[in-house]
Amino acid sequence: MSVSGRASRAGSSLGHGLIPYGLIPYGQGRARGLDAAALGTHGFQMDELISLGLPTVAGLTVPVADAESLTDPDLAMAAVELLQQLAGRRLAHGERPMLVRLTASAPVPVAGLPPDLPVVGLAPHNRDAVMKVIARDRVLHEVWGTMLRSIGEHGLGVAGAAMDDLMFDVTDPCEQVPALLELIAAEAQAPFPDDPAGQLAVAARAMLARWQTPRAKRARRTQKLPADLPLALHVQALVLGPWDLSGFGTATSRDPETGAFRPTGTFYRGVRRSAPRPPRPEDLSAVPGGAGLLESALLTLEQHFAAPAALDFELRDGELALLSARPERAAGLAAVRLAVDLVNAGARAERAAVRQVRPADVQELLHPQLRLTGTETELVRGLPASAGAACGEMVLSSDAAVSRAAEGVPVVLVATETTPADLPGLLASAGVITAAGGLASHAAVVARGVGVPAVCGAGGLRIDAASGTATAGDRTLCEGDMVALDGRTGAVYTGQVEISAARPPRELETVLGWADTLRKLGVRANADTGRDARTAVELGAEGIGLCRTEHQFLGERLPLIRRVILAADPEAERRALDALAEAQREDFRELLRGTGSRPVTVRLLDAPMHEFLPAPGRAGDAEAEERAEELREANPMLGVRGVRLALLHDRLYPAQAEALFGAWLDVRAEGVEPELEVMIPLVSLPEELTAAARQVRAAAEAVAARAGIDVSAVPYRIGSMVETPRAALLAGELARTAQFLSFGTNDLTQLTYGFSRDDVERRVLEPYVAGGLLAASPFERLDADGVGALIEIAVQRARAVRPDIKLGLCGEHGGDPASIELCDRLGLDYVSCSPGRVPVARLAAAQATCAAQEGRTP
Amino acid sequence: MPALPATGSVGRSATPLAEDFAAELVELAVRGMRRGPATPQLEALAAQGFAVLKGPLAMPTPRGTELAGEMLRLPSGSAEEQRVRALYETFLPINRRLRDVCTAWQCHPDGSANDHSDAAYDAAVRDDLDDVHEAVAPVLRRLAPVLPRTGGYLTRLEAALERLDDGDHSWLASPMFDSYHTVWMHLHQELLLALGVSRAEDAELEERLVAETRDAG
Repeated sequence: MSVSGRASRAGSSLGHGLIPYGLIPYGQGRARGLDAAALGTHGFQMDELISLGLPTVAGLTVPVADAESLTDPDLAMAAVELLQQLAGRRLAHGERPMLVRLTASAPVPVAGLPPDLPVVGLAPHNRDAVMKVIARDRVLHEVWGTMLRSIGEHGLGVAGAAMDDLMFDVTDPCEQVPALLELIAAEAQAPFPDDPAGQLAVAARAMLARWQTPRAKRARRTQKLPADLPLALHVQALVLGPWDLSGFGTATSRDPETGAFRPTGTFYRGVRRSAPRPPRPEDLSAVPGGAGLLESALLTLEQHFAAPAALDFELRDGELALLSARPERAAGLAAVRLAVDLVNAGARAERAAVRQVRPADVQELLHPQLRLTGTETELVRGLPASAGAACGEMVLSSDAAVSRAAEGVPVVLVATETTPADLPGLLASAGVITAAGGLASHAAVVARGVGVPAVCGAGGLRIDAASGTATAGDRTLCEGDMVALDGRTGAVYTGQVEISAARPPRELETVLGWADTLRKLGVRANADTGRDARTAVELGAEGIGLCRTEHQFLGERLPLIRRVILAADPEAERRALDALAEAQREDFRELLRGTGSRPVTVRLLDAPMHEFLPAPGRAGDAEAEERAEELREANPMLGVRGVRLALLHDRLYPAQAEALFGAWLDVRAEGVEPELEVMIPLVSLPEELTAAARQVRAAAEAVAARAGIDVSAVPYRIGSMVETPRAALLAGELARTAQFLSFGTNDLTQLTYGFSRDDVERRVLEPYVAGGLLAASPFERLDADGVGALIEIAVQRARAVRPDIKLGLCGEHGGDPASIELCDRLGLDYVSCSPGRVPVARLAAAQATCAAQEGRTP
Repeated sequence: MPALPATGSVGRSATPLAEDFAAELVELAVRGMRRGPATPQLEALAAQGFAVLKGPLAMPTPRGTELAGEMLRLPSGSAEEQRVRALYETFLPINRRLRDVCTAWQCHPDGSANDHSDAAYDAAVRDDLDDVHEAVAPVLRRLAPVLPRTGGYLTRLEAALERLDDGDHSWLASPMFDSYHTVWMHLHQELLLALGVSRAEDAELEERLVAETRDAG
């Protein structure tokens, strides 16, 4: 071995020879005290895989400090010699020849590394010998041509555009290679080397130069990595074998659909390369010897990473060698299943599993889905192109979609495929179905871009625009017929199908059960109806934190409440209220039955006056018209609302409270005992609360008297919403009357900032967030500095007066993980969110508790 | 509303539209729609039944698309047509790669949405986009002398790349403005109109060309 310069200094032994300085065989870096900083992530990982007992490809690393010296043909020669010893094969020699693959890695994981140079050592004089083994001319020449193109530009200074033009005009790869070699010989100072060491040296130069191109530097910049991040080079043996026993591929440990352990991946025959794209992939069953070969490696890696594992492998003569391995980002069901599997295997504690699952994974599993009853007719099945479910009238053109949607009708756009001209229709539709095109089709890309559920490539669907029909099998739908789709499964159904929150899968229940044992913060749900309450309880809510009674007054009951407000005299008002009472009592019974024997917070009427007033000229008679006119407000959200309305119409809250207490007695007779909490909205004066509480107490006494029982047999708590900054500041005063306080953070945010949410959301908050003035909309993430400070003051003052006061938060913030974490820190007792967010809130609350105990942010 | 001027001529075939109206119609057909206040030209096109205006949206009618197609269509059997046809067939497999890149930008391989929290993942996809861009650039350079209107696409694609690299993720695949994908779709549509190829033929041909590339060897 002829070695010169620094390469000859030193070395350790391999077999009988000496290893030149600067060449570290895979598996030997650790022993020399080298880590990823020297070996690059790939070299370090090869050490790791070998120490786990896994088979790896034969190869060596030229560490960061020595990478440049591989451009010296002498060290390159030494590398080739060493590689031949490690692989036990000779370069391009005999029946089982080998070539050399040069790859690179950096001390940290980075995207945008130079592509592999996969067939170093291949030359016109040994071409035929190599071809004889793998017997695939075109594949080999494509790889060869691409490598020459890259080395030509970055290693030999030939203009990239000249080679691109050549490759554009000479399309046959077998002709490209000689033409490229000719061009390089003419344009570069020296012809492309024939000998392996010479090629490896120039390949190393190309790879290091490619790392310094503007493109590679941009990739580092976008990843916030230093521009001078160094490279380690890796020289691997490309052991050639017959086509039918050789190939390469990637495998992951988990089934992407179900999250169950099942090696899944792709297998390609031939020589491994990244560009041009490899030939048609087969699945792992095509691996000579079967996918089982990969199972034990994937299991070992999964336990090692505590994450789903992915690996790149190569197969020569049926022998497996790993090229790389990495933890996969687990998402959705796979993440949850893995967390449970690792706990069951004893590899993780429950607490770690709870911390590992992300709230977004939970939400993803609770995407709206079709509520199937089993009687639906499946029309056709396509590819699940954009998640979510939709149901609406079938429309066959973008035009029809726009027109029908403008009339407020939910529509599903059905088309053979879509083009940019269909964009308005896509935007107007609740869902999209296409007959042609795949997951990357225009319709799929656009639907995901705008969050519209889509099923694409439903091949059995034939669309006839002329007759306005879509046909699948023997079933024909006409434009205007109802159609439903599930963008997660790809199924399309005919007819009306209800859409609802998904039921959590079993593994999620398990993780949430663990979360419940860890969290301090209670989780309740906002529910206005018995159905909502049942859903919330099914999803794990401990009670109802907010029932908005407004809906009892809208819809068909609007005329009744209108009569209350516009009543000419107290008698007319009383009659109108009586008419409302029985309907309300029925609503409350449903709610309480749905809640069961759990706490339930019922907020008495809180709607702005204008929602009850008739349109001008619609009041009925001139007198009522006049009263309505007097009641119209310039700013209804800050006008006669909540407790203010109740104090002006002092029969309103008693009527509601009586209906509620009556309903409670009804359901108690059925064996259900909800813990009633009566909440007064929009309080800003403690005196308002006192007055409203007096009305509620009187109502309880009236109900008890009518039932002939003692009032103590109708247990309830009275509390106040904290929605105005004044209420927050006077929480101590409120606590003299209130047994609980609930922060209504939507209004509290509006009033603290002086934002009208409807007006500022698009026109102010979006640009503020885009411009960096705000990190997030304060309506989505509770503002810790302003609103949070008010809550903190309120918590202190309220607890000083009444230490056992219950403190909660109701509103959208109750389902946002970051806001939940803040609530935990502020010491609230519970959050209340929409029923669909309950599982997320349970997980986020547990993560907040863990984070607080460990003194970090989740 | 201005009346449509008498016969003028633009592009390759005689049209019943004056130059700026014809250009507006061609632009509308290539883009599929326009957003924003209606221009006098658009209103005139709508009055003639070549476009429909719906609120802030303008869309070509089938007649409008047909007429724009006639104006862009290269003479059948001409040398120009053959040249563009060859370039279009080179374009199609690259088109597939671009759509794969957009998909990867929107979704992780497991199907979950890409929330752009993984800088390395995004950088890898962005790097793939460079390969696509490098592959389409020679096609566009050869296309411009034959189809002068296509001369601007490279600049528009690069403008989208610049916005993307400024940190706004939506400039790769958003359908709402001239993102990389949007500009690319316009280019694609223009090729289809110039060659008189239907979307169905296009899809079939792309599938065949992609499969051939895969099966070769």
